[in-house]
Amino acid sequence: MHRVQENITVQDLKQGSDLLFKSIYEENRSKFLNFAKKYNLSQDDNIDVYQDAYIIFYNNVMQGKVTEFTSSISTYLFSIGKYLIFDKMKKNNKTINPDFDLSIVREKEALVDPALELEQQELTTEQILLKKYFVTLGKKCQELLTLFYYRGFTIKDIIEAGDYTSENVVKSAKSRCMKTLKERINAQN
Amino acid sequence: MYENPKRENKRTKLIAMKNQDLLYHYFSNSLTAEQEEVFKKLLENDAEFKAQFLFEQNLKEVIKSNEIDILKAKLKGFEKDLAATKTTRIENFNTKKTKSKTFVFNYKTFAVAASIAILMGWFGYNSFFKTNYSSIYNDNFSVYPNTVYTITRGDTKNTLEREAFVAFESKEYKTTIEKLNAIPADANKAYFNFYKAQAYLNLEDTEKAEQLFTQVVKDSTGFVAESIWYLALIAIKEENKNQAIQHLENLIENYSYNKDAATALLEKLN
Repeated sequence: MHRVQENITVQDLKQGSDLLFKSIYEENRSKFLNFAKKYNLSQDDNIDVYQDAYIIFYNNVMQGKVTEFTSSISTYLFSIGKYLIFDKMKKNNKTINPDFDLSIVREKEALVDPALELEQQELTTEQILLKKYFVTLGKKCQELLTLFYYRGFTIKDIIEAGDYTSENVVKSAKSRCMKTLKERINAQN
Repeated sequence: MYENPKRENKRTKLIAMKNQDLLYHYFSNSLTAEQEEVFKKLLENDAEFKAQFLFEQNLKEVIKSNEIDILKAKLKGFEKDLAATKTTRIENFNTKKTKSKTFVFNYKTFAVAASIAILMGWFGYNSFFKTNYSSIYNDNFSVYPNTVYTITRGDTKNTLEREAFVAFESKEYKTTIEKLNAIPADANKAYFNFYKAQAYLNLEDTEKAEQLFTQVVKDSTGFVAESIWYLALIAIKEENKNQAIQHLENLIENYSYNKDAATALLEKLN
């Protein structure tokens, strides 16, 4: 396979290309699964861990927690993956071998980048309701709000990315989307 | 003291805009130190501002959670594709193994068959062993159904579009093209070119079909993946293997439409 990841920057990834997202996933998958074998989790568990690690990595990039790669993408994935494996093993009370003390190895500080956010918070009841109505918004509204709140695009970035002509147009579109969202929630509850 | 209502209204609007700006800068991580002070004070003293802040904060979490759902679904899809590719490889490997066993076992029979093939000469060899593009095309081609225009019995409006799609469903492809072409340009819809291309393809006019499918891909307003699939089939029909492979790879990598069929077809061509 064509090797894609060596020269990838945070900005490349933030463009949100599906092709790049897939290439990075596939390029690191076998390496990661090979590495994870030694921890005696099942293959399905290892795939789950790899996917979780990949999503955590991707979210951190998208949300501006990683502003520049200080190591290769593989290093990030392995580092997060290791953290998740140990976390899983601790929860399962599983040991690698008798002389291996899990408590000493996995602290967040040992990560490739301590600023990485690893836990996904459970949604509150209010947020679950909000999510229910967010997905009923039109595609354009969902995209606009996602660009702003998830991908950290500024209004200028949003204009550059496409469908909007001025700052005021973006601002009023964003306000309208939020107003619709509030109205839908209020109408149903 | 008397307050002019217009002025008061304007002042409220200005404050609301200022507050919106503050929230915008907060969520863009671009609050200045001075703005941060004002922001903190508003959070403490202004219930409306606090409610809006909490709403946006919640929205941010919700969007993240929604994105995670989308990403997880994508990764599931990648795994499914990888498993399918693996199965196809194993099947191919097993077929090859069976074939090689048969070769050893039936060596004498094969030798006789080979002699016959040599006797039949190049022409015979060519028709036996080369990729049979026409049969691959026929195995994979089926006309794309009308999914855009609902024809109902009680529909009394006899528009050109309705006539075009009635003709399309009756396999009267020439009429389909005539009717679609007769629709004035300002009433053109994004999917007309796709169905015109379908009609040309069924009339064996691959050149025009190809032009229109290419246009659909370029316009990118719908039926893009479908058009790439038909472009791959046209390339197969024209025995242009490289072009077919390019279209199929594009389809598999970037779209989900007909992915399994495209993967199987790609295996056949390789």
